[in-house]
Amino acid sequence: MNILLKHIEYPESTELKGYCESGGYKALSKALDMKPSDIVDEVRRSGLRGRGGAGFPAGMKWTIASMDPKKPKYLICNADEGEPGTFKDKPILEKNPHLLIEGMAISAYAIGAEYGYIYLRGEYPEAKEILEKAIIDSYAAGYLGDNILGKGFKFHLFVYFGAGAYICGEETAMIESLQGKRGQPRIKPPFPVNEGFLAKPTVINNVETFANIPYLVEVGAYAYMKIGTPESPGPKLFSVSGSVNKPGVYELPMGTTLREIIYEHCGGIKDGKKLKAVIPGGVSTPIMTADTLDCPMDFVNLPKYGSMLGSGGLIVFDETADLRKVCLRITEFFEHESCGKCTPCREGVGWLSSILKRMCSGEGKPEDVELLLEISKNILGKCFCALGDGAAIVVQGFVNNFRPEMEGRAGAQA
Amino acid sequence: MITITINGKKIKLNKPVTILEAARKSGIHIPTLCDHPMLEPFGGCRLCLVEIEKMPKLQASCTQQVTDGMVVWTETEKVVEARRAMLEFLLVNHPLDCPYCDKAGECDLQDNTMKYGPAIGRFKEGKRKHPECYDDPIIVTNMERCILCSRCIRMCSDVQGADAITITNRGNKSYVEPFSGGRFDCEYCGNCITVCPVGSLMSRLHKHTYRPWYIEKEVETICSFCGVGCSFVAQIRGDSIVRVETRPDLGLNKGLLCVKGRFGFDYTVSSARLKSPLIERNGGLKQTTWAEALSHAAGKLKEVKEKYGPAAIGAIASGLCTNEDNYALQRLMRSVIGANNIDSTTGFFYGPAQRFFEDIFGQGATLNPMQGITNSDGVFVIGADPSAVTPVLGLQVRAASRKGIPVVTVGHMSGLKRFATCSLNPDAFSEPALLNMLISGLMKKRPVCGENIFFEDIIKKFMLSTSDNISDACGLGKSDIDKAVDELNLMTNPAILIGRQVVQRSDASVLLLQLSVLIYLLNGRIYLISELPNDQGLVDMGCQPDTLPGGRPVFSDSMRKRYEDSYGAEIPSAQGMRLMEMIQAAHEGKLKALYVMGENLLLNLPDTGYVKEALLKLELLVVQDTLMNETAELAHVVLPACSWPEAEGSYTNFEGRMQHVKKAVHGEAMEGWKIISEIAKIIGVDWDFLTVVDILAELTKVSPVHKGITYSEMDSGNCLWPYNGEPLRDIAKDFVLPDTKLIKREKCSGRSYLSADQQLFHSGTIGRNSSALNLLMPASYARIGSALNEKLSVKTGDTASISSGVKSAELDVIIDPDIKGMMVFVPNTAADKGALSFMKWSMNKDFKNPALDGNEIEISKLRSKAEEVAA
Amino acid sequence: MIVKQRAYEAKEALLMPALYAAQREHGWMSPEAMKSVARALDLPPATVKGFATFYDMFRKKPVGKHVIQLCTNVTCILSGSEDLLSMLSDKFGIAPNETTTDGRFSLVAMECIGACGTAPAMIVNTDFYENLTKESIFSILENYK
Ligand SMILES: Cc1cc2nc3c(=O)[nH]c(=O)nc-3n(C[C@H](O)[C@H](O)[C@H](O)COP(=O)(O)O)c2cc1C
Ligand code: SF4
Ligand code: FES
Repeated sequence: MNILLKHIEYPESTELKGYCESGGYKALSKALDMKPSDIVDEVRRSGLRGRGGAGFPAGMKWTIASMDPKKPKYLICNADEGEPGTFKDKPILEKNPHLLIEGMAISAYAIGAEYGYIYLRGEYPEAKEILEKAIIDSYAAGYLGDNILGKGFKFHLFVYFGAGAYICGEETAMIESLQGKRGQPRIKPPFPVNEGFLAKPTVINNVETFANIPYLVEVGAYAYMKIGTPESPGPKLFSVSGSVNKPGVYELPMGTTLREIIYEHCGGIKDGKKLKAVIPGGVSTPIMTADTLDCPMDFVNLPKYGSMLGSGGLIVFDETADLRKVCLRITEFFEHESCGKCTPCREGVGWLSSILKRMCSGEGKPEDVELLLEISKNILGKCFCALGDGAAIVVQGFVNNFRPEMEGRAGAQA
Repeated sequence: MITITINGKKIKLNKPVTILEAARKSGIHIPTLCDHPMLEPFGGCRLCLVEIEKMPKLQASCTQQVTDGMVVWTETEKVVEARRAMLEFLLVNHPLDCPYCDKAGECDLQDNTMKYGPAIGRFKEGKRKHPECYDDPIIVTNMERCILCSRCIRMCSDVQGADAITITNRGNKSYVEPFSGGRFDCEYCGNCITVCPVGSLMSRLHKHTYRPWYIEKEVETICSFCGVGCSFVAQIRGDSIVRVETRPDLGLNKGLLCVKGRFGFDYTVSSARLKSPLIERNGGLKQTTWAEALSHAAGKLKEVKEKYGPAAIGAIASGLCTNEDNYALQRLMRSVIGANNIDSTTGFFYGPAQRFFEDIFGQGATLNPMQGITNSDGVFVIGADPSAVTPVLGLQVRAASRKGIPVVTVGHMSGLKRFATCSLNPDAFSEPALLNMLISGLMKKRPVCGENIFFEDIIKKFMLSTSDNISDACGLGKSDIDKAVDELNLMTNPAILIGRQVVQRSDASVLLLQLSVLIYLLNGRIYLISELPNDQGLVDMGCQPDTLPGGRPVFSDSMRKRYEDSYGAEIPSAQGMRLMEMIQAAHEGKLKALYVMGENLLLNLPDTGYVKEALLKLELLVVQDTLMNETAELAHVVLPACSWPEAEGSYTNFEGRMQHVKKAVHGEAMEGWKIISEIAKIIGVDWDFLTVVDILAELTKVSPVHKGITYSEMDSGNCLWPYNGEPLRDIAKDFVLPDTKLIKREKCSGRSYLSADQQLFHSGTIGRNSSALNLLMPASYARIGSALNEKLSVKTGDTASISSGVKSAELDVIIDPDIKGMMVFVPNTAADKGALSFMKWSMNKDFKNPALDGNEIEISKLRSKAEEVAA
Repeated sequence: MIVKQRAYEAKEALLMPALYAAQREHGWMSPEAMKSVARALDLPPATVKGFATFYDMFRKKPVGKHVIQLCTNVTCILSGSEDLLSMLSDKFGIAPNETTTDGRFSLVAMECIGACGTAPAMIVNTDFYENLTKESIFSILENYK
């Protein structure tokens, strides 16, 4: 499978020249000859679902935004990739910036946006320089600017460099942050597609979602849908880390099984150890046990196995992993990243992590695990945004799937 | 039409609202913490969760909009369990120090925990620590109790517009603080305290002195500080006000207050309070009995009247006193003394400005309801910064700006700086040139409409006579002017706010005429920035030398007759002396007796040295006041009057709204109107006011506009001008066109001029006696801008010497980069160093008020703060 | 401090870049740094403070010449980053979020820096280092004088 990462194999993939030589910017010029609404239709028909985590159909977002009469419209690329275990957007940002720019330019044309921002996480300083240079080059070559490719289409693109707040990956928090506010999520509705950045219609998509667009436009929805599964079409980037022999980013069709990813592509578990558990889609997706290897990795099948596709960031644990400590570390992450707006997330997650910390330092009590479950239940479904809920289901996942270990009865050594 | 069902009750709604609003409207209580009626929904605390049929998750009712057919349950087992969970979370980091916390008894967290909360805490790990902070003189913060509902922050940013506090850090490490971390350095409106649901933000002034259930009495009354006339609830214990509180549904301020109203009320118990009458004996004031004091004052008045005639007696009324007191004083002057010599400092600005506009636009033209500002499509402010002198009125301008309404300001206005779409800051005294440019710019875009031929005629003449080339006359660039004209041209019915500086100057009539033209062209509504609680009341009660109660001209025989019949006395037809004329007359020995009620002439009149000389020449100076002051020290008789919370009465605010001021505490002094009645009786007049009701009854009988007013009508909040009466329409004297030749000044730039600072934290006379307000601001200082400081090179805190033609003194300097040019701002709070005491004045020939422009001042560095500390 | 407004189109989107510029100039988010941003953008200082303290990368106290930001999230600790952190702590005699007395290094424990595939990883100032080992980490830091 080689669509999203195609250009990376060419020399000088970050350079405009390299990108164009490997077929870049053809889709943009094709798109500018189409009617914007036809592009939106094509994307809708393709069934492309957002790659940032929630899997929301991209075509639907675009349709609503393109129909809103307010002006100007904004396009935002969510490049805040902050979910631990996730680093799939990084190769695009660092090695293939023009693919993103081309994808965004086509999207902007389709929905009628004049301005775009790439909200890049502050921990990717290299990507910042690469993107900024690529943007300058694109302006010079007429792929961005007031009159793109001489077709009278105007689109300006800026890189906005974040400063370390995972919650800004949430789209309304991201808009707040872009507007110079603390990154706390907004009340929805109104949704960003109607009232986003500066209260104007705004489409926010993940880096990978945009990266799908040039190919989609080039081959058309019909051909695109041949990849992946009917409910989750298209190619997907999986970032795999942890105890595998060959960690890294893999481009595979949606619906590839866990087994295939871990054992065929990543060369199996390190040092010939036994697989113990997998987190399939970044730390906010519940952990899965070793007997779920036949689960196809897509939006529909993972929930059947009690988890979610999330961002597609797999973390693989072998038999030696101390899952209680992993659970503590993840909970501490959520505690640290909670924006503080709503009660259950701010106070509840902190409470979870203080219990886990006590448990990990050998001061656990028999009733602790039940208390963890009850606090998680009290958090779940009551938070303002998905961050707090994520923390709760993750703790539930650890306790439900690995209860003896969480209780300290069967440690990593057992 | 949307129909929803809450707890089985069908509710019909015209427009989509939140579930919470729908429930509130139909009397169903849903507990909340982060929601507040004065603020936008937030959705953070999650206490208001409710169950909605067909939705798997509980929803926050404060943010969830209703949809047709929705079925909501607010107290199911699932909901109650969730609320218990939220409260348990909120208590995780809470110190549980209710026995020590002043909020106990009125704490939303405590009350909800009582109702839903867990009885025991399961949290055993260590709590977050954050010591209580006493760095601020007024506000104590306790961040261990904070539930991060952000109500204070939203109040401070979205309503008050001060943006002084913030949430620092993120997640469960966050807390609320001002920028400095300790001192608030804010506008001290205290509205954050009003909305804090727990004991995190509290007033330090009454800390640990009361518990809510110790409050013995609550009285809804009207604030005594400025002409906005905010309502609040005074909470009383024993004979003192413990604190004042607001409610979102109360008064025209709808729950908001400013620093003066909220914290300044303690002036009423200041050590300067007058309690017993004083009489001058052997060169000093001695305590005496009421009987002696009253008969001395009455006897002397009678004697002077007999010896020199009624015209040798004058009276000064006060915008700090109630309508009833002021009515009684004018009645004493007109019916007992027989002179029209009555005036007040309201005659320096508010009175003449109103008269001028009424002459053109008709009586009542300046009396417009406050909410008209946010409902307008533009705001123009000149002459005072409403956010400093009448802060709650200022909030209306800020709210308008937040709604996207263009705001154009003229002059130095720090409080509106971030809210003005266009701030014009012309050179000193060049406003007429600026206004001329605005008008001619506007007339090019918007010719006169032909509605008022008489006035349009004046406009044309005026335009002809002032067509000088003045493009660089005001120190602003052409682009500034063009932008302002464009902004103005967007307006079709703007609010025009006008403050005192427009009128206290020699070319006031030119400025007022220009403003009238602007108002005419823009179809504007006029708002006069009334600095005293009863400026309008003074006008309405006839405390002007030329008008009778109800604004009827004294020269009109037919009108005068109505009062004469009622008073059983003859009223002279000639206009009496205005305030400064009385002072001049006293100086010249022509005025022999002066009755001063609630006014400190040696603070609020310019060139106090001259005023003092004048007062010393009087044969009789009676001072009726609540607080000892510089003027009272010179009096022959001092009569202690009840202070604002001690007597019943009414104030009329800048909208012309009469509001009921209620007696809240018992005082030792006598009601102001009663003192006057006693004097009248001793002089030998039949005078039968037993209570304020009798005064109001007489007023409503004699004054044609005040028909049928009662105190209960005032309580309903709808007692608005012209009440049930008839405004005066066609009696206006011929409008006299002021001399519109622009007063040619020598170029003002490069010289320093003195101006009275517009104070948020004080209001001279009474504010300087509040210990709370005194904590916030030094009584005196000189505030200067960077341009002047280039010459001076001082730092904030250094001492400078300033001197005018009439006075010199040392003052500490405050550098304020917002001040343009060479102006020096000095507050008028300290009598010995008040701004006015430095000022020379000349009599404005049109209004007979003191013109204070062009007060040149010498300022030089004396010593630095460091030197002072060393010494 | 100059932030090119044109480069960000909307005035609202200037605060973050302005704070970065101020941090470069002042080294950390000192009250003066925040005030200078407030003045430049005509924003209330408290608003600037609330914003700056929300984001991890704006320093709440002065830092050393070089800032070692070591990832301590899940994958990195699976690959031993906790040991690396305590080694650094011991060697420099500072706990995380502290600065050496000579002002050369500050040590920061980071949440995920997106290098899970090449864990453990760190960012020194703005330079990225992956696949760290006990040996490599010290020789890398040797280059930061
Ligand atoms: C707490 C939280 C963090 C998120 N972080 C990211 C992120 O780092 N990158 C991302 O693309 N989407 C993230 N999302 C999802 C976005 O809110 C949003 O769904 C996505 O940007 C939409 O783009 P897509 O439809 O192309 O996936 C996050 C959501 C939440 C609730
Ligand atoms: S769940 Fe609540 S506190 Fe947590 S990040 Fe979302 S809004 Fe903020
Ligand atoms: S009142 Fe609804 S969440 Fe707080």
